[in-house]
Amino acid sequence: MLSTLLSQIANGLVLGSLIALIALGYTMVYGIVQLINFAHGEIFMVGAYGALATFTYLLPTAIQQRWYLALPLLLIGGALVSVLVAVAMERFAYRPLRGAPRLAPLITALGVSVALQEAVRVFYPNATAALPFPDVFIPGTLIVPIGDGVPIRYSGMLIFAVSLALAFTLNAFVERSRMGRAMRATAQDPDTARLMGIDPDRVIVLTFILGGALAGVGGVLYGNYLNNINIDMGFQNGIFAFTAAVLGGIGSIRGAIVGGLAIGLVKALGGQYLPGGTAYDYVWIFVVLIVVLVFRPQGFFGETERVRA
Amino acid sequence: MTRRRTIVTAAILAGALGLTACGTNQTEASGSGGGSCDTSKGNLVIGMVAPLSGSLSALGLGMRNSAKLAVDQANQKCTVKGYKLALQAEDDQATAQVAGQAATKLSSDPNVVGVVGTLNSSTSQTVQPILAAKNIVQISPANTNPTLTLGANAATAPARPYKTYFRVATTDLIQGPFGAQYLVNKAGKKNIAVIDDGKTYGAGLADQAAAEITKLGGKVVAREKVGEKDTDFSGVISKIRALNPDAVYYGGEYPAAGPLSAQLAGGGLSVPLMGGDALQAKEYISLGGREGDLVTSVGAPATSLPSAAQFITDYKAANYSEDYNTYGVLTFDATNVIIAGLATTIGTATFDDSKRQGLIDAVQATKYSGASGDVAFDEFGDTTNKLLTVYAVKAGDFSVIESGTFKSS
Amino acid sequence: MTTLEAPATPAFTPPRTRLDGLWAVLAPRAHLLRVLAGVLTIIGAYLPWATFVLNDGPYPEKSTLQFFVAPLGVTGFRLHLLVFGIAMVAVALLRLPAAGRIIRGLGWGTVAVALINGLYLVVQGGGLGTITVSDGKAAFGTIVALVGGLVAVAGGTAGGLGTKPELTWRPAWWIEWLILLVVFAVVLFLVAGVLTSGGQGGVVNPYAGVVFLSVLCALGGAFAALSPSGLLTWVGAVSERHRVFSVVVLLLVALLLPLTSAGTEYWMTVAANIGVYAATAIGLNIVVGLAGLLDLGYVAFLGIGAFVAANLSGAAASKIGIELPFPLVMIISAVVAGLFGAVVGSPTLRVRGDYLAIVTLAFGEIFVRSAQNNIGGLTGGANAIPNIPAVEAFGQSFAAPVTIGALKLPSGVLYYVLIVLLVAAVMLIFANLKNSRLGRAWIAIREDEDAARAMGIRTGPVKILAFMIGATLAGLAGAFFAHKTAVVAYDSFRFLESVTLLASVILGGMGTIPGAVLGAAILFVLPEKLREFSDYRLLIFGLALVVIMRFRPQGLIPDKHRRAELAPDAEDDT
Repeated sequence: MLSTLLSQIANGLVLGSLIALIALGYTMVYGIVQLINFAHGEIFMVGAYGALATFTYLLPTAIQQRWYLALPLLLIGGALVSVLVAVAMERFAYRPLRGAPRLAPLITALGVSVALQEAVRVFYPNATAALPFPDVFIPGTLIVPIGDGVPIRYSGMLIFAVSLALAFTLNAFVERSRMGRAMRATAQDPDTARLMGIDPDRVIVLTFILGGALAGVGGVLYGNYLNNINIDMGFQNGIFAFTAAVLGGIGSIRGAIVGGLAIGLVKALGGQYLPGGTAYDYVWIFVVLIVVLVFRPQGFFGETERVRA
Repeated sequence: MTRRRTIVTAAILAGALGLTACGTNQTEASGSGGGSCDTSKGNLVIGMVAPLSGSLSALGLGMRNSAKLAVDQANQKCTVKGYKLALQAEDDQATAQVAGQAATKLSSDPNVVGVVGTLNSSTSQTVQPILAAKNIVQISPANTNPTLTLGANAATAPARPYKTYFRVATTDLIQGPFGAQYLVNKAGKKNIAVIDDGKTYGAGLADQAAAEITKLGGKVVAREKVGEKDTDFSGVISKIRALNPDAVYYGGEYPAAGPLSAQLAGGGLSVPLMGGDALQAKEYISLGGREGDLVTSVGAPATSLPSAAQFITDYKAANYSEDYNTYGVLTFDATNVIIAGLATTIGTATFDDSKRQGLIDAVQATKYSGASGDVAFDEFGDTTNKLLTVYAVKAGDFSVIESGTFKSS
Repeated sequence: MTTLEAPATPAFTPPRTRLDGLWAVLAPRAHLLRVLAGVLTIIGAYLPWATFVLNDGPYPEKSTLQFFVAPLGVTGFRLHLLVFGIAMVAVALLRLPAAGRIIRGLGWGTVAVALINGLYLVVQGGGLGTITVSDGKAAFGTIVALVGGLVAVAGGTAGGLGTKPELTWRPAWWIEWLILLVVFAVVLFLVAGVLTSGGQGGVVNPYAGVVFLSVLCALGGAFAALSPSGLLTWVGAVSERHRVFSVVVLLLVALLLPLTSAGTEYWMTVAANIGVYAATAIGLNIVVGLAGLLDLGYVAFLGIGAFVAANLSGAAASKIGIELPFPLVMIISAVVAGLFGAVVGSPTLRVRGDYLAIVTLAFGEIFVRSAQNNIGGLTGGANAIPNIPAVEAFGQSFAAPVTIGALKLPSGVLYYVLIVLLVAAVMLIFANLKNSRLGRAWIAIREDEDAARAMGIRTGPVKILAFMIGATLAGLAGAFFAHKTAVVAYDSFRFLESVTLLASVILGGMGTIPGAVLGAAILFVLPEKLREFSDYRLLIFGLALVVIMRFRPQGLIPDKHRRAELAPDAEDDT
């Protein structure tokens, strides 16, 4: 049925754009320091809790009720918390390990991931179970009159619009701006970049700030879309985002966007049309991933692996 | 530089811990001890195996607190003569091998008289044989998998695998069909979509409900599973929306069910959602459970039982930082059953390994009026309390629709 | 091309410490500082640590390593501090070679012990009053010991670290054997002592967790102090000279563990679980440590082995209701897992580096998801496959206690013995493979795949073989796991388990045999011993991973070959 197909495509695009937003952080960090930052998913989760804390403890009722005031403040609050955690993580966990064997930071990242999740669970009030998240955007659903109707939630559209806007802004930033050029230079060859007067430490911190902010915004939008958050949300979506980054070609910003959307669509459409139904929708994501990588080992937009010194 | 960092880290850690540290200091030295009771014979320990960390810890911590409440009350009332009771709660992280280690730890302590738990049926599968080997009684407030008491061929040829294992929770074989009977016969829903979360509790419940729906002449229009950590259900909702169900039966727990219910409405499918006792938590409603959603629960409604109201008052008075949650009431009863059995077994004598069989027999013969209603066990160790209640969400709370005893159709 | 190891880029090493100036100022007084540190630490050990008795009973006095009596009136961590203090004074006065390093090590140990116990007291006591002044009572043990430790670190560093001496003593072979025997006996008692340190926690023994952590810190300090003395290196060299003898003695020592204080049912169960993961980690070490292929879904092979064994065990819930003898089941499980290993490894023909890592993660997720959905009715789905019968041999069930003459052993001992033998066999396979033509081919691929191919190594089949052999070993462990745990459920094989396995390989030291075992032991003992901190234990676990990687990024037991090729002077960076 056409309306079902369109609904599933809409679902896929919403989830996919969100995954793309997280994947950008993965892909940027990887591009610069060749680190699979497994804790990045938790940055997304922390952002959602930061926004919830902002809403619950900081905003007066008058602002809470006006979405055009509350939403930007929540986004700022969530992004701020995410950025702080991301920068602290870089400073205290990853920076001392520069130059260490390459898998050591991977374990650190996993340790940070477990610790962040547990820290939120233990220290955030009542975070042992899922917490309700306020609906700060226009509530309700737009039913597009095609066939039986295609329901699309306004908060879902928000995710799609904001994610893509941010992704393209980021792309422009990296392509055009001076700092963006410094980032690309560091990604290509840190030693030469240093010789050219670029401070790799600053570039790396900037990368974590950008990735953290995007993840934080993603966390807030996700909470607003689903109206609940839990401490597991980062892990699950983090794995999807990592997969998306690899599928698109790790290190490539365009790749992360395309990879994220592809995963969202595969999950939605695979659950609908492929054998096994929704019980196997994850399986299809990973099957597609394996098939794509076997035929295109560097992902959609990845460069063929170049020799690193 | 390194040293400074260490100091800073230590200071932060100390600050963070200092902020959360409250309660235990020297002022309440006597604490919840036996007060004026004679505890000359020492300590006896009631063990617990439940998930105390990780994503299911909300339920596990509620269980721990409820058991603690029962133990503290028994100590105050001097229920077990000559002994002070203590609760030792061990974390199983909801995985089988960790549960096995926790159970071994408890079973190798001669002071452990009985174990309350586990939460998950899969963890009970490892815990059962370990405790049975030491003749330690185990009562689960939450396991619903029929095979735990009825053996591998639960439906056709029931045979009790472990004499030491009891449960105060009803099995999927009862709760699932009970919900389905209400849905089809009373509420008149004929086209039902059945969804579960793929976990032991949810999948078992949904399977039994689906079978009963078909048996009663209803139609299971869709049988879907969602990921156990999913929070975005838009895919499955779009899929079942095309099949026009009148109701959705969900096998799973409230953290996913609340959002699922909200997203059903958001996805243009405003039909009621029905589920089992794991949905009956206030959080279900705050997470998005809608007016008209239905929930089955074991036992008589809490409001009609003074003992249940008493439990809730006592729990509130004890100031635990976590809610008692879905399994609090049943955990409280399970703990009390062990304590009562212990009191009758020991009498004025001392406890040793030879008393264990007596304790098992005492539990088997339990006639106890608890917070969830009357507790007694049948020959398989299952609760004989087959009274279930259907609730509907109404004005932000659960209101009783009807109570009834399950009859298989 | 990307290998798993990025070479150490000089541009990325952090600048030398800002404290260099401070060291220069302190240098002339370093000798005095060292003695002062020792004295402070001794005083700290004897001062009271808490201003009042905690709810759960007197705290500082309760801690003890069981085989220590109280020779000088103090026990537990205070005894450790006393020993550290005396050692500092002695080392400083004797002016041993590398005294700076030794004292710095002791200093860090003192700091760690003081911090752990002090923090615990503060948290449990409900405020800083616990370790300072409260109700007119003073208890400055924590602070004095902490200062002593810090002074030791400062004094040790300031006066020049000194160079590690090289011991070249070569006594007669029988003396060396004797020394090895003593060393291994000490190791046995240390292992047993650490495992049982603090006792089995519970309501009657609420301090078990913190006592264990404190013992661990003290051991770390002792190790950090012993290592620069050159003794450990020397013992290592001796055991290398008598390799076969060492291996046999070590195996015997492992088999003797049930006779020590750790020989309880609980520890035998934990040890058996550690053994399962150690055997699996060694398999993973082939893939990651030798061949340099990052695998993030490795636990699936353990799962496949376990499910195969469960189906062939005669368990009522299994689909294939046949029961085969256990050795045969092990072989079948291993073979099936190995075949799947080849399937998972096949994309390596085209996919490299981190892309391969995600492919393995994908296979792992597909496995868990399929097992959860009871694919083909083989996995029991959400209901798992319960009631798998225990292994039996000669009429003796492995799950039951054993009595040999007057010797009564708890249940679980037979499983322990079985897993020790299994791990030994797996180690043997690994060691032989590592030094074989195939092993050299793997290492060549790890170092530079293109060069390896140019040298005539057929990289494709060799890489698939790495996956296959690794998976076979995991399958073997899986068969054991199924019978020991008695239930095989999909949720025992999640991504987090793969991660923990990978962490044990990296933590222990990639490519080394004892490394994987040590890593697995730490990662599975730590959460067990931290049970008393129930709410915080995963938090502590996560932080511990970060801290260990911070100080030993090359792993606890780095591969000698690798040590040579990686940052040669990373040693000083603490």
